[in-house]
Amino acid sequence: MGLPDEAKALPPPGIINRNSVWLGVIGWCSAMLQNALNRRPPMKSGVHRQALLASIGWFIGYHVTKHENYTYARLDRDMNEYIRLHPENFSDKEKKTFAEIVEPFHPIR
Amino acid sequence: KTGYRAVLRPDLSLAIGSRSAFTAAKPDHTNPNWLRVGLAFGTSAFLWGLLFKQHSTDVHEYKVRNGLE
Repeated sequence: MGLPDEAKALPPPGIINRNSVWLGVIGWCSAMLQNALNRRPPMKSGVHRQALLASIGWFIGYHVTKHENYTYARLDRDMNEYIRLHPENFSDKEKKTFAEIVEPFHPIR
Repeated sequence: KTGYRAVLRPDLSLAIGSRSAFTAAKPDHTNPNWLRVGLAFGTSAFLWGLLFKQHSTDVHEYKVRNGLE
């Protein structure tokens, strides 16, 4: 169920990555929301809960980033392989300069 | 205040907006459940350790597969 073996050849995400930060903050905010709904001081109470939920979010975010990196790398590889196999669909059109397109200018003053 | 309004008192038992449906006791916030606190911090520390270990393994694996080490 994890990533295939070829995914290990990709550069791994950093400890600090976008998904980790986002899910970590969501975990932290959900702990504070639970505090607020139970009429406790949101930031000062249940620090162990805040730390746990933020850590869980950060951990899940790291693995989400790994999965995301692999998905985009696979899509890029498949796209480039298709382009390589079908060059007739990706030829450069012959380019015209503006001088060839634009009509001659006759000022009427 | 006169009449019945002289004997009106605020209902102090409604100070907490909600209570757990699973327990009959009111939550006591002056005596923390230290076991749960310890388990929560311990699990957090464990997860961070696991994360750093996984990251270190990933970096090593990447270097090996790309001939950098």
